[in-house]
Amino acid sequence: MNLARLDPRVKLLILAGLSTAALVSRSYTTLLALLAISLIILLAGSIAPITIWMKLRGLFSLIVALFVLQCLFNRSGEPLLAFTKFTLITQAGFKTAAAISLRLLVILLAALIVTTGEARDYLLSLTTMKVPYEVAFMVLTALRFLPMMREEAQDVLCAAQLRGLQIKKAGLKRQVGAYSKIIIPIVAGAVRRAEDFSIAMEARGFRAHPQRTTMRKLRMRASDWLYLAVFCAIISSIEAIAAIAAFT
Amino acid sequence: MIEVNNVAFTYPHTKKQIFSNYSIVFERNEITAVTGNNGAGKTTLSKLLVGILRPDAGSIVIDGADIGRMDLCAIGKKVGYVFQNPDRQLFNDTVYNEVAFGLYIMKLPNDEIEQKASHYLSLFGLTQYRDAFPGKLSHGEKQRLALAAVLALGADYLVLDEPTTGLDIRRQRELGNLLENLRSGHGCGIILITHSNEFSSCYASKRVVIAQ
Repeated sequence: MNLARLDPRVKLLILAGLSTAALVSRSYTTLLALLAISLIILLAGSIAPITIWMKLRGLFSLIVALFVLQCLFNRSGEPLLAFTKFTLITQAGFKTAAAISLRLLVILLAALIVTTGEARDYLLSLTTMKVPYEVAFMVLTALRFLPMMREEAQDVLCAAQLRGLQIKKAGLKRQVGAYSKIIIPIVAGAVRRAEDFSIAMEARGFRAHPQRTTMRKLRMRASDWLYLAVFCAIISSIEAIAAIAAFT
Repeated sequence: MIEVNNVAFTYPHTKKQIFSNYSIVFERNEITAVTGNNGAGKTTLSKLLVGILRPDAGSIVIDGADIGRMDLCAIGKKVGYVFQNPDRQLFNDTVYNEVAFGLYIMKLPNDEIEQKASHYLSLFGLTQYRDAFPGKLSHGEKQRLALAAVLALGADYLVLDEPTTGLDIRRQRELGNLLENLRSGHGCGIILITHSNEFSSCYASKRVVIAQ
């Protein structure tokens, strides 16, 4: 089913379900199954593999870095890879690193499912799920500001480099110094924008009336219920099988 | 001169193609105004000229050196860039340090840094804000500070994206005269990205219109 047509509440529940299942799962088989389900949902929902890769590309280095750090610093268990007498990677370290990377990947893929909808639909769905409108609005506004802040940070970084600041070739200490310098205008800009935004919102009557009405109503269709039911059944089955396997 | 040779550029996220096989030459000792409608690609062109954006195809050559192989620091030595939004290029704790920032990196002697920075602060009417935090200035003052910080570096070319935004008529005239002095005195090549026909017709010797 095309994810863009799926009810936003179902997408939020899928995100919550997949993320929770990934966090509580202990076995690799379960995590791999969850990863497969996330991918199937995305691919069946008309999201092209190249789009998935483009969106996750930036975070892939983070996953790899986490994997390497876990491998190197988790020293418990039997040696898996050793150089003369020095143990490079232990079995427990490798297993923990693989589990953490898989968990993170499942959560990121689940988050991609939510990116297929409009922000106003999620606002509406959160309010129908009894989340206070102010809280839902704040969360979504903060998320909308993130790409803007990233663009601003890139521009400030470019401006500093064009004025001679060497960042890429500098040592770690100088890099930290340079980045801390650059954070100042980004934070100052974010605070100023938030102030302007709040004034603009109040000028347009935000919270002027306690009861909000909406022009559009969200309605769960039969296909949405069916999708949710199938998803819940699959996730429950996977978790049940994993629990039985762990018990036996 | 800056040669833009058969450049193609498409924003990767929106897939919006801005340039396809686009070529143009900007000479030294000349002020060129680049105009066009909103979304035509004026700011994109300016960012391509200083290497913030990289072309999908074609090349940009500054005085014989292809900037495709240069990092931003190396490009910055040849081309100074003033952003459309000054907030995006002010990152120091005081107005003085903002102007002196690039001069410190150039490892100039302290007395020369002091002299140059004070000169540019005075030129743009910012001496009274010397120890103020740049974020506290008005938009016009920030615009002037951004210009001062870039001009102090003495690059051979300047790319100014909407430099007259937030400047009153007197400051616009002062800026125009300053740019004219830079051109005639130092042979600087100046590229003005602007909507102001009045400003461009007064100070630019060449006008380029980017069609959508």
